[in-house]
Amino acid sequence: MGAGHTRFGVLDAGPRALVRSAVDAAFASVDKGADRRDVHEAFLATLGFGGHQIGNSAAALAEEAGLVGVPVTRVENACASGGFAVRSAVGALAAGATPLVLVVGVEKMTDVSNARRRYWLGVSGDTEWERSAGLTFAGVYGLIASRYFAEHGDASEALVEVATKNHENGSLNPNAHFQKRVSRDDVRAAPRVARPLGLFDCCPVSDGAAALLLAPAELAHRYTDTPVFLDGTGAGTDFLAVQERRELTRFRATQHAAHEAFRSAGWHRSEVSFLEVHDCFTIAELLALEDLGFASPGEAPALTLSGATRRDGRLPVNPDGGLKAKGHPIGATGVSQAYEVFLQLRGQAGARQVAHAEHALTHNVGGAGATAAVTLFSVG
Amino acid sequence: MRNVVRVAAYVPSTVADGVPVGAPDEDEFTFAATAMEHAWFGRRDEPGAVAVHLLGKFPPVAEWGFSPLLGRATRVVHHPADSGELASTLRELEEDAGGPAFMVGAELPERGRVRSGRSPGRGAAAFAYLLEDSETPSPLPLPKSPATRSAVTTTMKFGSFPEELPRSVTLVGDWDPRVAGGPSIDRKLLGKFAETNLDAVSEGAYVPHARYLENLPSRWRFVAESCAACAGTTFPARGVCRQCGRRDKLTALALPYEGGRVVAVTTVGKGGQPTEFDAQVATFGPYDVALVELARGMRVTLQVTDAPPGTVRVGGRVDTRLRRLYPMEGEWRYGRKAVPVAPHRVPTAGT
Repeated sequence: MGAGHTRFGVLDAGPRALVRSAVDAAFASVDKGADRRDVHEAFLATLGFGGHQIGNSAAALAEEAGLVGVPVTRVENACASGGFAVRSAVGALAAGATPLVLVVGVEKMTDVSNARRRYWLGVSGDTEWERSAGLTFAGVYGLIASRYFAEHGDASEALVEVATKNHENGSLNPNAHFQKRVSRDDVRAAPRVARPLGLFDCCPVSDGAAALLLAPAELAHRYTDTPVFLDGTGAGTDFLAVQERRELTRFRATQHAAHEAFRSAGWHRSEVSFLEVHDCFTIAELLALEDLGFASPGEAPALTLSGATRRDGRLPVNPDGGLKAKGHPIGATGVSQAYEVFLQLRGQAGARQVAHAEHALTHNVGGAGATAAVTLFSVG
Repeated sequence: MRNVVRVAAYVPSTVADGVPVGAPDEDEFTFAATAMEHAWFGRRDEPGAVAVHLLGKFPPVAEWGFSPLLGRATRVVHHPADSGELASTLRELEEDAGGPAFMVGAELPERGRVRSGRSPGRGAAAFAYLLEDSETPSPLPLPKSPATRSAVTTTMKFGSFPEELPRSVTLVGDWDPRVAGGPSIDRKLLGKFAETNLDAVSEGAYVPHARYLENLPSRWRFVAESCAACAGTTFPARGVCRQCGRRDKLTALALPYEGGRVVAVTTVGKGGQPTEFDAQVATFGPYDVALVELARGMRVTLQVTDAPPGTVRVGGRVDTRLRRLYPMEGEWRYGRKAVPVAPHRVPTAGT
């Protein structure tokens, strides 16, 4: 029914102000208007980065959204919190929380000290084995990329293409953290963070919030004549530490989530107009294309290098710039993906509008594939 | 009558000014652990308690760490480190009836200290004698391997190999440390790192001491669980089969720690490390982390040590050793790391 979004990036606003802005924008976006008293349930997606209000943060959301009294639940599945919050909203609607359910994702990441920031960036990985061996997520995705290269050959140039493409898209998104293009040489020359991944293979640390208003399909026309339909959701989990998975280069959580989502939506991959995938590191976009079923194992680099995933390609991926350029405020990301879908499917994405956008998929991953949520959308 | 049945030595491959000094993640406990694992090779699954006689100074972990290291009850006895003590302790152990006993010495001379213009000394080394009840007489009391003799000599500060060692001991195994040309390290940096503040509040992912202890069998000895219901293996052991979910058909199974194949490897550059590794990176720079397949498809994530970053390759083989991981709550936490060296548990004689 409605969707709101703040700027992503290094912002002055604190988490409460970010929530307020995103929720206000979501209500303002409802074509025929919506009363806050229509909201009967809300979900807050946040990691609680920095520990500022990690306990009972749902009550803070209720205050900022003007919804004190309404039941609010915090959903925490690391970087996939937003995707799982959207899924929770679907469940709440089915359980009768009508007419409206609010979903808000938020993270404030840039107001904490360097040491504390790097601590919080690592809390969602496996503590006892990966962390104690000296890995953060960059390191875990470095291992995954190393394995991918060993199985399928060097895909460095495809990673460069992912980075430059997403920066190109981000340059057209006024909410993006990075709104500038980068050259292929910039990407290649960047210092290595976790070989083979370099600085431009990594998403930034960003502040931001996004919000969605959802209603049952039969009540949609009370709020708008151009609703975006949420046709299916799927989700999955996998072993937290990659050492316990039989394969490094496939995320079973994503595969399971996609399978479940397409089954519940009743339409097929061939109908998808564009994808919003979880590119926390460039290698993750290649894995997503394969795990979601849009490329065979080992074929994502060729698909990417063919230009098919560019905004004007046959399967645009991350037209908003993705996590890579738009930024990755952890709890906000999954909700932000749905916001982009809301704009694109209604033809409101401006300079970055994808042509003939009718069916869309969002893909949100927690950690290095331990949790994943996939959501399918369409316009009528 | 208890006789020496094995002698193993460990000489670190990391050198400063051409002398073995040990890597930053080594101390007397890890030295002893490596030598003892060599001597205990092939016997991990035997039951029974052991006694551990330590010659010299050891860090606090030595009071409790040998039990989880060997996976059995251990009684730790401390002795001063000198050649007379080595001989008299050996004699006592020979006469003392009872189960297997280790006699272990470890030495890290001039660790972290810069003594310009002076001889750096003979370097760092450790040895482990394993004694057991034995019917065999004892014609060969001394280590045959020159490297092992040198390690014992270094550790016990003998001028030359002692003639006063009892003649009654029997050697049926003698493990050569086979020191490869290891990385060279700056003594000043080693000294700086040795001053790491163990009490600094860690912004690392917090592992409470109790959880650290709980996981030591898997962390130090790679203990997995084998499921009789489905034949699946689960590592690390967690009391539930990863394959069928049953809890009632599990038996402990130690995966081999003397080697594995590298499945994936990354080099963690400056800024890519967790905060508990900040001092290490600031002092010594980037490091490799490898995913290593041990056996039965079970894999473990290990930091690479004793080698410059970029040494380890996918498909290569590594050995594993107990080392210091990082400081937390006033203590060093220990775990296994990978070393890209040739296998060195090669008996030169006997079993």
